[in-house]
Amino acid sequence: MSKHTYAGKAAIVGIGATEFSKDSGRSELRLALEACAAACDDAGISPSQVDGLSTFTMETNPESEIMRGLGIDELTHFSRIHFGGGAPCATIQYAAMAVATGVSDYVIAYRAFNERSGRRFGAGVQDRPAGATAEEAQFAWTSPFGLLTPASWVAMFATRMMHEYGVTSRDFGAVAVADRRHAANNPAAHFYGQPITIDDHQNSRWIIEPLHLLDCCQETDGGQAILVTSVERARDLKQPAVIIEAAAQGMADDQQMMRSFFRDSLVGLPEMGTCARQIWETSGLGPDDVKTAVLYDHFTPFVLAQLEEFGFCGRGEAKDFMANGNIEIGGRLPVNTHGGQLGEAYLHGMNGVAEGVRQVRGTSVNQVERAEHVLVTGGTGVPTSAVMLGADR
Amino acid sequence: MSDELLSRMREVVGQHSEPSLARHAIGTAAIADWCDAMGEDNPCYTDPEFAAKSRHGGIVAPPATLDIWTRPGLPAQASLARRCGKDPLSRVMAMVEAEGFIGVVAVNSELEFARYLRPGDLLQGVQVMEDVSEEKQTALGIGHFVTTRTKYSTVEGEHVGDLLFRILKFRPGTGARPAAATDDEPKPPDASPALRPRPAINRDNQALWDGYRTHELRLPQCQGCQRVFFPPSPRCAQCGSFDMAYVVSEGHGTVYSHVAVHYPQAPGFAYPVPVALVELDEGPRMVADLVGVSRDQLEIGMPVEVDWLDSHPAVVDGATDSRGPVTLPRFRPAAPPRRTETRTVGSVSEGDPLPLWVLPITPTRIVAGALATRDFQDVHHDRDLAHKKGSADTFLNINTSMGFMERYVCDWAGPEAVVTALRVKLGAPAYPYHPLTFTGSVKSVDATTGRVVVEVAATNTLGRHVAGTVELELNP
Ligand SMILES: [Zn+2]
Repeated sequence: MSKHTYAGKAAIVGIGATEFSKDSGRSELRLALEACAAACDDAGISPSQVDGLSTFTMETNPESEIMRGLGIDELTHFSRIHFGGGAPCATIQYAAMAVATGVSDYVIAYRAFNERSGRRFGAGVQDRPAGATAEEAQFAWTSPFGLLTPASWVAMFATRMMHEYGVTSRDFGAVAVADRRHAANNPAAHFYGQPITIDDHQNSRWIIEPLHLLDCCQETDGGQAILVTSVERARDLKQPAVIIEAAAQGMADDQQMMRSFFRDSLVGLPEMGTCARQIWETSGLGPDDVKTAVLYDHFTPFVLAQLEEFGFCGRGEAKDFMANGNIEIGGRLPVNTHGGQLGEAYLHGMNGVAEGVRQVRGTSVNQVERAEHVLVTGGTGVPTSAVMLGADR
Repeated sequence: MSDELLSRMREVVGQHSEPSLARHAIGTAAIADWCDAMGEDNPCYTDPEFAAKSRHGGIVAPPATLDIWTRPGLPAQASLARRCGKDPLSRVMAMVEAEGFIGVVAVNSELEFARYLRPGDLLQGVQVMEDVSEEKQTALGIGHFVTTRTKYSTVEGEHVGDLLFRILKFRPGTGARPAAATDDEPKPPDASPALRPRPAINRDNQALWDGYRTHELRLPQCQGCQRVFFPPSPRCAQCGSFDMAYVVSEGHGTVYSHVAVHYPQAPGFAYPVPVALVELDEGPRMVADLVGVSRDQLEIGMPVEVDWLDSHPAVVDGATDSRGPVTLPRFRPAAPPRRTETRTVGSVSEGDPLPLWVLPITPTRIVAGALATRDFQDVHHDRDLAHKKGSADTFLNINTSMGFMERYVCDWAGPEAVVTALRVKLGAPAYPYHPLTFTGSVKSVDATTGRVVVEVAATNTLGRHVAGTVELELNP
């Protein structure tokens, strides 16, 4: 395997977000435009300078409307990534590839929705029409039997982790406790000032056994945009450049959309392993170089699997790695210092990329010392992505 | 007034009926039919060779059949329903009903066996009024418990066992009021299976869903390399062939993982829904909900077998649904195997659990059980008449429930375990399509007498159907 040639040639220069709420009171398009404009402000460029866009296939706001709203004359790159929450770091990767190859100068990666007040992903899969596409047909093997939600799919993996690795619900709870501890210190977080204890986690109601309510991320209205340009241009802008040291997508081993129930083992995340291998090879870094990480946390169990896939600990050892507050601020690897999607907001992982940027800039509310390299990951259980952000030296 | 009624009824206590004589001697054909209806394959009942070498020295009838042989046939049972009998129970019934205690529910049924019945035995039964209780407030209403004992003997006069039967006669409308539904408890969605999400059926998976409709668990198979895999794909990843067909799975597998779905609640499901990832014996895994079992009874590795749900009917509101009917494969815990070697008293201990047994209840099973136990009451075979009498459907008769209970314990104890008594408290009805889940454990063991008491309960989605004990004698 070789290093990705665009690595280190692009940088994040602006981050912009709306407030995170349960009812934004405005359109998803407006949320997207507010976030994109804020990212440009953060970088000190005019939105009209943007000539590339990258987003999710699930995004409802088309590039054409973003272009109109931002006053962009010409777009030379617009790309979309499939598979829901697996996309966030891939939008950054596509942006980096576009600027590193000279296709575009300024690319915004964005995601905005009224996921709480509008269409709620946790509400479940609806009736699928007959004569279905290959994608819809995959739901035939789960929906009629009662597995209708992401939580229900992830729970099937969680039971297996508990069985094979002796993981307990309290171990899953350690992720929730860390997220909420970090969110409690973050004024932008929904759960600002509201830490939880492991007992709160254990006493929260079942959603899908073995997952409690507090194993599950929030539902959020909001928007988040990330502005990417070349490292050379970045050095002339307002903020310190945050280098995209490596970025990767991954799909592996009989992949399904959060329902890879048919692969040999259910206790790992091979698609994240595919990302991890590329990230380490391209960045030349290793787990010891990373002092903090933003690990996708729609549901707590897969945070454990990610620690293992990236080699922060051995297979089945995540529960021990996380013990004694090791993933909380002050520990070996503080995870999700913004509060994650359980504590801050559920923005399909894009808010996690922004937190990675803040850690490198040194502006996080839960700043980790010498956070020179910050790992950020995309959705788990789905075809996914990851990015390594680093300081400009 | 009730004192006066009670004393009149209690005058009947101790009185006997005329003997009721069986019309036919016990026969091997009737025994075999009973065994078929119960799924009973204990060779002591049907295999002359095995039975001859057994402790019984020849074919015997299942003990739970004790009270079926003296029953009158269909015409006589139909007229019995009009209650013109002169037996002590009929007399007490007439007295209480005249005072407004017109509701009736069976409460307890207990069979005690003096010896195993054999083909050729011609039985008679004498009913004795054993007890009439004082007026009592029960959940169903104010009423009296009426207990009869029927003593069975051969016509030669040899006592073979007793049936103790208790009913409650109550005044409808005097029971405990149902707890008022609270407004903040959301009503669960309609659980009728037709409301489940329909599977997306297309050219790549059509053959499998077509098979499900005929209760054939098809798995995709590549015709190029014979590989069996799941879910389907038009092309074989192993050999590259596009030639796809299927094999039919035996429907046996084990639980690879499992969850219980609590929230959100969608129409078509009864929550919480236990769902498993089943690893089939043929190799592939598939997701399916489980019947007759809750998540806390599930274990990874537990054997399961396929169970079919005809979820979406072909005709909806009088018109053919163009999307076609849908049948879903589900799974239930595999029936525990019948022991071929009989347990000794030394091999069982107090607290030993019996394996979980989930028994599908179908209309056929209900009717077959009723007929095999010579019970011709219409509520056990005629759905229209059951509806007319206020029942949601036909339901299992008591003899069949007790037959299943006996089978459950003897499957665990072995073919030559001697059943000395079956005692049950009766609860929720067993309607079709509500599987019965049997659980049990050893309640007591007396090593000197070989007496072992096993506690058994059978529950369904409506609650506890029967609970009670099976008393055994095991060899040292
Ligand atoms: Zn092949």
